[in-house]
Amino acid sequence: MSEVRIAAEPRTEFGKGAARRARRAGKVPAVLYGHGTDPRHITLPGHDLMLALKTPNVLLRLDGVEGGDNLVLPKSVQRDAIKGFLEHVDLLVVKKGEKVSVEIWVTVTGEVAHGGVLNQELVQIEVLAEATHIPQGVEVDVTGLEAGAQISAGDLKLPEGAELATDPEALVVTIAAERTSEEGAGEEGEAAAAPAAE
Amino acid sequence: MLIPRRVKHRKQHHPSLRGRAKGGTSVNFGEYGIQALESAYVTNRQIESARIAMTRHIRRGGKVWITIFPDRPLTKKPAETRMGSGKGSPEWWVAPVKPGRVMFELAGVPEPIAKEALRRAMHKLPMKCKFVKREAGE
Repeated sequence: MSEVRIAAEPRTEFGKGAARRARRAGKVPAVLYGHGTDPRHITLPGHDLMLALKTPNVLLRLDGVEGGDNLVLPKSVQRDAIKGFLEHVDLLVVKKGEKVSVEIWVTVTGEVAHGGVLNQELVQIEVLAEATHIPQGVEVDVTGLEAGAQISAGDLKLPEGAELATDPEALVVTIAAERTSEEGAGEEGEAAAAPAAE
Repeated sequence: MLIPRRVKHRKQHHPSLRGRAKGGTSVNFGEYGIQALESAYVTNRQIESARIAMTRHIRRGGKVWITIFPDRPLTKKPAETRMGSGKGSPEWWVAPVKPGRVMFELAGVPEPIAKEALRRAMHKLPMKCKFVKREAGE
């Protein structure tokens, strides 16, 4: 996975007033930590960061950061709940060749057999991967699976270089039997007839 | 209809509707959801009505999650009653919903069907809402 270069500026004033001023100026407050170093406070350009974060687990190279450790991974991203703009980002310092624990997305492909309903229990799984070669995601093929079938984390074919960090027994996908229309109607009727407790 | 099994106090003060939702602001269980853009009390009847509107549209397949619960009672005095003589009797069960809260989630259906099902459900709710999808990445 290629890295994205972003210009960072050190942050000298703190608190919500300063953070709001930075956001109004189109910047995003961020903190940088890892490898036993002291946390460093920086601001990043909002638009560039937003574009970079569209890629899951994107590797960022920060320009203008003192100390030389400028290869980072987004650890936690805080967004506005309604508008979705970036409020704050936690960045984890990584080194080339180092193995890091990241969550990658599980994508389901194919159609289950007739009469089955797909239940995706896990949408992300934790893997250990080299910081510079983090896989984008993992695919699960459910073509032709019948009701009652299960796929656990241990059954997934992980991309090369990635090791499973989740419990291998954890269920990723289950196929349930499709409800008949009578069952569905019965449930609706039960819900409507529930007693009113006080 | 959703209703608490047992409550500690039958009559409560009105729940606050100020501010924004602190949690439950992202789609966690399903793939699509309804997010509140305004604050309002959502009654158990409205929740049930929205659920029925949604499940009738998706017909079969798919799974629905209701991520709010109407656990707050609101009271009402009978009509043409003089003021005083204590608080009225419980009339509604509501979930106080603040902006940003994801109230319903849906999975296992194609996006156009999910969008239409959730749009129908939104008409049963007392506030402005929007259709949201599970965020990829981060």
